[in-house]
Amino acid sequence: MAHAFRRRADSTLACRLDGEEKSILAQVAQETADLIRADLGIDGDGDVLRRAAQSEDPLRRLEAEFAGRDPREPSDSAVRRLFPAASEDPELAIEYRRLAQQDLADGKLADLRLVMQILDRSGGGHGEVVIDDAESMAMLRALNDVRIVLADRLGLRRDGDFDTVRMLQQIGEKVEEAEPVGDDEHVGSDIVIAVYELLSWLQESLLRALD
Amino acid sequence: MPVELSRADPGTESLTDPAGSVQTTVETDGPWCAVVWNDPVNLMSYVEFVFRSYFGFSHLVAEQLMMQVHEEGSAVVSRGSRERAETDVQAMHSFGLQATLEKAGEN
Repeated sequence: MAHAFRRRADSTLACRLDGEEKSILAQVAQETADLIRADLGIDGDGDVLRRAAQSEDPLRRLEAEFAGRDPREPSDSAVRRLFPAASEDPELAIEYRRLAQQDLADGKLADLRLVMQILDRSGGGHGEVVIDDAESMAMLRALNDVRIVLADRLGLRRDGDFDTVRMLQQIGEKVEEAEPVGDDEHVGSDIVIAVYELLSWLQESLLRALD
Repeated sequence: MPVELSRADPGTESLTDPAGSVQTTVETDGPWCAVVWNDPVNLMSYVEFVFRSYFGFSHLVAEQLMMQVHEEGSAVVSRGSRERAETDVQAMHSFGLQATLEKAGEN
């Protein structure tokens, strides 16, 4: 059972999570990072372009220049929400992607990596997760980015959509109680809903502790 | 933004801030602006926190802008040169907020 973030006497922030919650959090952080890298064509090191740009081989430099000139448009709907178009004007939007997308991706991947490291150092089982103020900023951003991905998978488009999803889930549960079918079809989205709620609650509790 | 319960604590800070300071803080001269758009994911408390921590707005100013995003669908959060607006849009994107670069007067 999770306990909300609170400010400790030594001014660090701490919450309590059980082992399962920690591993789910680490897993969705990893999946979000993998999704960003796959969709934007970023390799594991994240700096293949930079190395190519400094290459002795003029062809590699040229490739890097072109690749740098045309950053990949996100194709996954969740990644599009994480890296939205900065303008309706396509020229302005592509100029902005050239300028900002690599830095944004580096930042988001670093935040997600830091959250995984924080969870690792807190140990496997039930226990406290302790962070300082700088880490809390990365934690807020990473929790938010993961929530954005989960919200996309749940089809949340407008205010109030999550309430509708929860309501449909409850109706589904009642129907299944009445005539049990024993299918696994809804298990997947039930887990996504539960993880989304956990992350929202954790983010809100961190914001309150920081206030 | 998802609707949350209002805070039990109305806050004791920033009470000296006149409500009108939103205008003077935000509408400095410049042909470009950064606009933040409503979305169903970002928590109201998070959006307010981002406005406070990145722009240095007071509680009241940040809350007012956040409510404008929530209720009217969008709010201009900064004005200035194109570079300024691009920097601010990028910062909003780094926090996961939906933001666009607009020429002032077009939105």
